Amino acid sequence: MKTIPLEAFFIVSMILFGLGVLGLIARRNLITVLMSLELALNAVNVAFVGADYHLGLVEGQIFALFIIALAAAEAAVGLGIIIAIFRYRYVESTDEITDMRG
Amino acid sequence: MVRLIIFLIFSAWAIISAVGVITFTNPIYVILWLLSALIAIAGIFFTAGAELVGALQLLIYAVAIAVFYVFVLTAVPWEKAVKKSSHYRMEGVLSLPLVLLLYLEMAIVFFLGITASPEGKIRAFIEKFGNTEVVGSVLFTKYFFAFEVVSLVLLIGMIGAVLIGRKESQTYEDDTT
Repeated sequence: MKTIPLEAFFIVSMILFGLGVLGLIARRNLITVLMSLELALNAVNVAFVGADYHLGLVEGQIFALFIIALAAAEAAVGLGIIIAIFRYRYVESTDEITDMRG
Repeated sequence: MVRLIIFLIFSAWAIISAVGVITFTNPIYVILWLLSALIAIAGIFFTAGAELVGALQLLIYAVAIAVFYVFVLTAVPWEKAVKKSSHYRMEGVLSLPLVLLLYLEMAIVFFLGITASPEGKIRAFIEKFGNTEVVGSVLFTKYFFAFEVVSLVLLIGMIGAVLIGRKESQTYEDDTT
């Protein structure tokens, strides 16, 4: 019945999450930083659904639905913050936003 | 066996698209690569038998969120922004040891979890009723409170986005003059 091993799901999830974190650190543009964050959230969803497929449960899929809903809220708030920053400062890079740096 | 081959095709597609997301410089190309990655991940969900999550991935992520990003990219006049010489932050290399440590921790947790978890049997009622009905019935009975809390979080996020993103009638510079 099961032909895909659980390790395959976890390896794909780890590669996608690593690429997302790499983009989160290495990109300058604010919008592409948010897109890398979406990629990392999707990698977590792949791990949840793969574990469900292995265990024969549905709880992981429910938490994947919650993650999708929270990603929608996060995209709305994050893009609102980016538009507000652009309106006051005219910056599109993460380097100029240093007001709260300790 | 066919299922494994389809899974490998979708996985390779998703990883190639993710590399495109973090390497391209034009934000429109980046959103197109992200859309490709989201569709490939939805294919992975369908391959794993999670039809409801795959369909919602296509509806919410690949339609709603991607179109929302494209709206923001086209509505904001980016050409007025201060340009930087490089699109990548090379001093981010300094954080590489910490990121590798995090990654190693993730790998250890994942593979310890694999050895500890038993190969479960698919529950009888999942095979009887199908994926979508089982997910819906568990979501609306066992996780009903969490579902309501998520709806509240979405409402608060919407109100916050409207409040943050609206145009002020007078800005702070006008107050000082």
